[in-house]
Amino acid sequence: MIVTPQIFIRLAAIGIVAVLLQLGFFSRVELLHTSADILPVVVVSLGLLGGAMTGAVAGFSIGLLVDCLLVLPLGRASLVLLGVGYLAGLFRERFDIHSALVPPLICMALTLLGQLGYAAVQVMLGVDAPVSVLVVRDMVLKSVFAFFLAWPIYFGLRRVLRPALVDEPKVTRRRQPTVLGA
Amino acid sequence: MYRKQVRRRRAVLTLLIIGSFLLLTLTYGQSSGGLQSGVSSVFSPLQTVADRALKPARDAISWFDETFEARGENSRLRDELARERTQAVAGKEALQENAQLRELLGLDQGPALAGSPYDPVTARVIARSPTVWSSKLTIDAGAGDGIEVNDPVISGDGLVGLVSSKQGGSAQVTLITDHTSAVSAKVLPGGVQGVIRPDIGDPEDLILDFIDSTRDVHSGQAVVTSGWRVEDFASLFPAGLPVGEVTRASVVEQEASQQVHLRPYADIANLDLVQVLTGGTRG
Repeated sequence: MIVTPQIFIRLAAIGIVAVLLQLGFFSRVELLHTSADILPVVVVSLGLLGGAMTGAVAGFSIGLLVDCLLVLPLGRASLVLLGVGYLAGLFRERFDIHSALVPPLICMALTLLGQLGYAAVQVMLGVDAPVSVLVVRDMVLKSVFAFFLAWPIYFGLRRVLRPALVDEPKVTRRRQPTVLGA
Repeated sequence: MYRKQVRRRRAVLTLLIIGSFLLLTLTYGQSSGGLQSGVSSVFSPLQTVADRALKPARDAISWFDETFEARGENSRLRDELARERTQAVAGKEALQENAQLRELLGLDQGPALAGSPYDPVTARVIARSPTVWSSKLTIDAGAGDGIEVNDPVISGDGLVGLVSSKQGGSAQVTLITDHTSAVSAKVLPGGVQGVIRPDIGDPEDLILDFIDSTRDVHSGQAVVTSGWRVEDFASLFPAGLPVGEVTRASVVEQEASQQVHLRPYADIANLDLVQVLTGGTRG
């Protein structure tokens, strides 16, 4: 990804809008007793579009913003999301994305990994209460939601960041051939 | 060229990981820092606008979800209504007796808050944490509205949590379903006391712990905050705030205590408006 000042502003706006949408909308809407988490999906999409560096930096920044807004211990979400973004970027650098099904599947798998990451960090920091088995259901459902949310998010972000993408074919309007004398 | 790029990428990754661990080490267990307060203050007007703008969409999705669940809930509510009707008759008698006793004692305070020194501040929920590992809300009222850290927070149905940090125009509420939450409470009638802890991942289940296994606790009993005070130490919650209803009790093997499970009265998952009880004395 070629990060010009304009693209940097777009990336920052994407991060802020994603965090505001997550905290103000997705976290507060429950389907099957679970709320969706779009932040791993956004970070994975940015990693798949921009590479490992973009994914890691976006994950770190978005995580930091979430922790700041909720006044949680700083670094927890950053650590998890930077890992998720980096892995997505590595995948993009090592393999070609031939099918439209690949980004949603990667988003689903890495969202699950992110949920496991949150759990691991929390266990590392200490859990002061019993943990319900329903945590597993929450993780799985969040991953399934991520699969469906990845379609609009990944393809929407690809559209927004199109000018910066290295291997994206340029969209050119084909001129209709002029028929002389018509 | 490629090697240089890889080296640079690894350096940035290492720096970010070290940065995350450093931030965790420095801020874990601390109250809100300057950075967090500043960022939260800057973004709280944006969050308020986003909350208002997104409310119709939230309501639409919630409507679908609730309709889906309504069928199952209908039969449960019928049973509950029949049980409540029986209890209401007994409750009316108790209220009548209570009013007479209050007149006799010259007390003007109601069972929970009426006439208490608390000044309730109504606030709108503008953000919620995305993972089950931290149950926190951000509300659109803060220090400017008289809110202090550790003020109890309630909804129309019961206890919700307490204020864990505040800024000028917003504050963070740690819910009773957060893993750090512990509320001293008692079962009514009977007055059996214990500590309410969350069951992480299940917002509809709380655990009342440290209850003597010989005490009789059964489903349907109400649980309220106990609001104790010992010399200079006092509970953060006033006495008598409704918390939930006992769903089941189980004796812990090889221990002289039982675990009582309760369903919170407050709909923790769908909070839009809450009240912060400011200015009171605890216990």
